[in-house]
Amino acid sequence: MSKQTRRNFIKTAAVAGSVIAGLPKKTDAAPKNILSEDRMGVLVDTTVCVGCRKCEWACKTAHNMPTTPLESYDNREVMKKMRRPDHTSLTVVNEYEFDDYPEFPIDVKVQCMHCDHPACVSACIVGAFSKEENGSVIWDSSKCIGCRYCMVACPFQIPSFEFHKAIQPEIKKCDFCFSRTKEGKLPACVEICPMEALTYGRRKDLIDIARRKIELYPDRYINHIYGETEVGGTAWLYLASRKFEDLQFPKLGNSPAPGVTEAIQHGVFAYFLPPIALYALLGGVMWINKNRKKSEEGEE
Amino acid sequence: MKKIILVLLLTPLILYAQHSKLNLECKTCHSCDIPTKENPCLGECPREELIRINQKPEEAPRIIKIDRIKETNLYGPSIFDHYAHSDMSIMSGDCRICHHYNPPGNIISCSKCHSPQRKRIDISKPDLKAAYHRLCISCHREWSGEIECISCHKPAGMQEDLTLKSINKKSIHPEIKAPIKKVYNTNFTGGKLVTFYHEEHNKIFGFECSDCHKNESCVKCHATNKSALKQSPAILHSKCNKCHDTEDKKSCNLCHSNVEKPVFNHKQRTGFDISKFHSELKCSRCHVTKGKYTGLKKECKNCHGIWTTDNFDHKVTGLILDETHVEFECENCHTEPTYQERSCNNCHDDKSYPQNKPGKVVKR
Repeated sequence: MSKQTRRNFIKTAAVAGSVIAGLPKKTDAAPKNILSEDRMGVLVDTTVCVGCRKCEWACKTAHNMPTTPLESYDNREVMKKMRRPDHTSLTVVNEYEFDDYPEFPIDVKVQCMHCDHPACVSACIVGAFSKEENGSVIWDSSKCIGCRYCMVACPFQIPSFEFHKAIQPEIKKCDFCFSRTKEGKLPACVEICPMEALTYGRRKDLIDIARRKIELYPDRYINHIYGETEVGGTAWLYLASRKFEDLQFPKLGNSPAPGVTEAIQHGVFAYFLPPIALYALLGGVMWINKNRKKSEEGEE
Repeated sequence: MKKIILVLLLTPLILYAQHSKLNLECKTCHSCDIPTKENPCLGECPREELIRINQKPEEAPRIIKIDRIKETNLYGPSIFDHYAHSDMSIMSGDCRICHHYNPPGNIISCSKCHSPQRKRIDISKPDLKAAYHRLCISCHREWSGEIECISCHKPAGMQEDLTLKSINKKSIHPEIKAPIKKVYNTNFTGGKLVTFYHEEHNKIFGFECSDCHKNESCVKCHATNKSALKQSPAILHSKCNKCHDTEDKKSCNLCHSNVEKPVFNHKQRTGFDISKFHSELKCSRCHVTKGKYTGLKKECKNCHGIWTTDNFDHKVTGLILDETHVEFECENCHTEPTYQERSCNNCHDDKSYPQNKPGKVVKR
């Protein structure tokens, strides 16, 4: 938001648009969208998580976001109602109680799933989003124009917007601790988790581990790795002891989410229609204004 | 030097001897053909099949200070009362509930398999910190809901309290008071009440706690919400059906009744009075077939063999036989196999028991 204002963007788009419009072939905006064989992921074992919320604290600390002291996270009152990740906390842990086993509520950490085929990357019209080689889906504040298409496109409704900020509001979401992993560190939440309910590793390996767990403990896990195939696969994978719908995971198909958004976008923006229409409109307005000015001058 | 070579040569043999008891293929654990001590080429922990620890709580350290993990400076080490936990573990799966992998020999440390570093190559098993926490928190959470770090750790920098108040006590767990009887209220229409004499099973029938309380979770006693523990008939029956036939529809009323049942009475149930001489005995002294208590013939020789004047001191019955009678065979006076009858008729026409006694009565 900071360097690129809406006005500037339109200006550049106008120039670029007029150039591109002359080109015969359709060219994609080119955000980084890498699907590496060795991309990393996290396996979340919800049967192990105890809902201590240390990950929430670690996340905020790692991202220099304001947080109450660590001890305050022992207070479980906040878990009485369902929460969603937002601009104040990029990850939250929700607790689900079930009548058939009240001693053991199930805790589920929620954050960006870092899709293999991210809808946000595809939806972002300025290429502010990118899927990096290590699997992270990150967002560049210097490119964002605040259109919030990403929020609409995301099948998990993860990106949030700092609506309360009048100046330079930002899109906020889990960045898979991109700056930490670049230095060879673990994501903050993975590092702090006392139960290692979060296992960080190559996505391929994680799926093997998850499969083996299901095979070894068929009573403990249902035979489903959430994120293995959902929306074409996600970097974050989940194991659970009961149906994922019961834990408020969205029931999604296996085809990548951008399939839908891209179809819409490419339909709407095909042959550069909107900019041309916009120019026609602006041109019309200018022409009317010019005429009016002339006639005013003439009257004088 | 020779000694060292001898030891080196014998070590694999000794190990093999220990391992051979396990009835396992070498390849179950070792990935290479000739494992050595230096390179055992161990594969993935085979877990349950391999646990061989039989230590008594006293043999292990009383208190263990768990301080191997120092990566974060948020909390201090945990002071773990090993004794208290191992003492209780007898009721819930023994040492193996924590030491879930241990080949024969010494206890191997957790860090042998569980890496102290979270960032590591093999992520198939949890790291050391998680391995500890999973064991501790899973139980503690279940029975008290406690998951706060400070329930086991002091915040970093604070002096930990090594002088546990209870260190001189045998166990920090309060003594378990076994109930004398328990009356279960069931849904069985043929008899709602099952009266269970706990003390009787314990003292007379000779059961150890762990014979029945084998896979008990801590929650069994510590649950905050007891109603959640209501067990299904199948589970309840599974505790009894090692000895009592719970499948046989005809035997339901042995335990189920609409009124509380009295204590087991051997004479009433079987016709053989054990109150006189056998009341202190454990059932298994006579009913030697393991598991089900089958009936015995009402004969003393079932257990005692055949008594003769040589191997039986008549004094124990409270009567010292006089010189004349001590020579006779038992059967001369006791005409039936329980030795209950005393008859003088074989020799005497004019005498009868108990008016006339074949010796001196003494206090038993």
